[in-house]
Amino acid sequence: MRLNTIVLTAAISIASTIPAFAHHGWGGNVDEVTAMTGMVTEGVKLAGPHGTMKIMTSDGKVWEITLAPPPRTASAGLKQDTIPVGAMVTVHGQRNRDPNRYEMKTIQVEYAGRHYNVYPEFADKVR
Amino acid sequence: MSFVQLMAWLEGSALGHVMRDNGVWFYGIINLTHILGVATLFGSVVILDLRLLGLWSDAPLAAISRPTTRMATAGFGIAAVSGAGLLATKATEYVGNPFLYIKIPAIGLALLNVFLVHRSSAWRAHKNRDLTYAERRRLAAMGGTSLFFWLTSIGAGRMIGYW
Repeated sequence: MRLNTIVLTAAISIASTIPAFAHHGWGGNVDEVTAMTGMVTEGVKLAGPHGTMKIMTSDGKVWEITLAPPPRTASAGLKQDTIPVGAMVTVHGQRNRDPNRYEMKTIQVEYAGRHYNVYPEFADKVR
Repeated sequence: MSFVQLMAWLEGSALGHVMRDNGVWFYGIINLTHILGVATLFGSVVILDLRLLGLWSDAPLAAISRPTTRMATAGFGIAAVSGAGLLATKATEYVGNPFLYIKIPAIGLALLNVFLVHRSSAWRAHKNRDLTYAERRRLAAMGGTSLFFWLTSIGAGRMIGYW
């Protein structure tokens, strides 16, 4: 095998593993959009690469709710003080591909009758 | 102090608070600063290392080494401070991220290589006279080492967010 072929093969195999990674993009999440309802255990934080919050579902599992980047989440109307800890919310999004990771990349947060579409371009995926 | 404790301390530090309490754009701006620091560092390092490896041998090494080492030092300073801020934002979330465990030692080894280059007799001689073949060979090896460890740390650093 010529060196060029080896380098090219290596580059393609490295590149093809990238969709498996989470956080940036949607590659690390399942395609199906699901909804879950839970109690907010840690309020919305608009710091770092993504907004975050934590909710506990009725089975006692604590889910990490990954929101849009802080500026987008804020412009969707979801601020750090919008939802108090202890409130019930319904989140619509795509859960982590790894079934042992309780993390959901979120499209819409539903709280007190309002819908916060942090990814409005995907809002039509929410049923 | 374990690594987990160190990350918890960093997250709770004043730097962590500064990163989290300054509005929705702050992290993005520090991220931009980090990229500019890395670009300045690596942009300088790659010129010097390729020169040590034998490219552009008609250009005197001393003329290249002076601006590149200064800009690399400035870039490293900017990248290190902004990088500590990015990490401090949610430091405990990065515990277990394999790319962080590659990146930090790679930076350590790259800096060790910088130290070894600067204390080598060949490096100290290049400002005053032409180098012998053996001296050039030694510097070329360290230049290659430098490229390897900086590329490893940048590659692993970029991948941290994709884990």
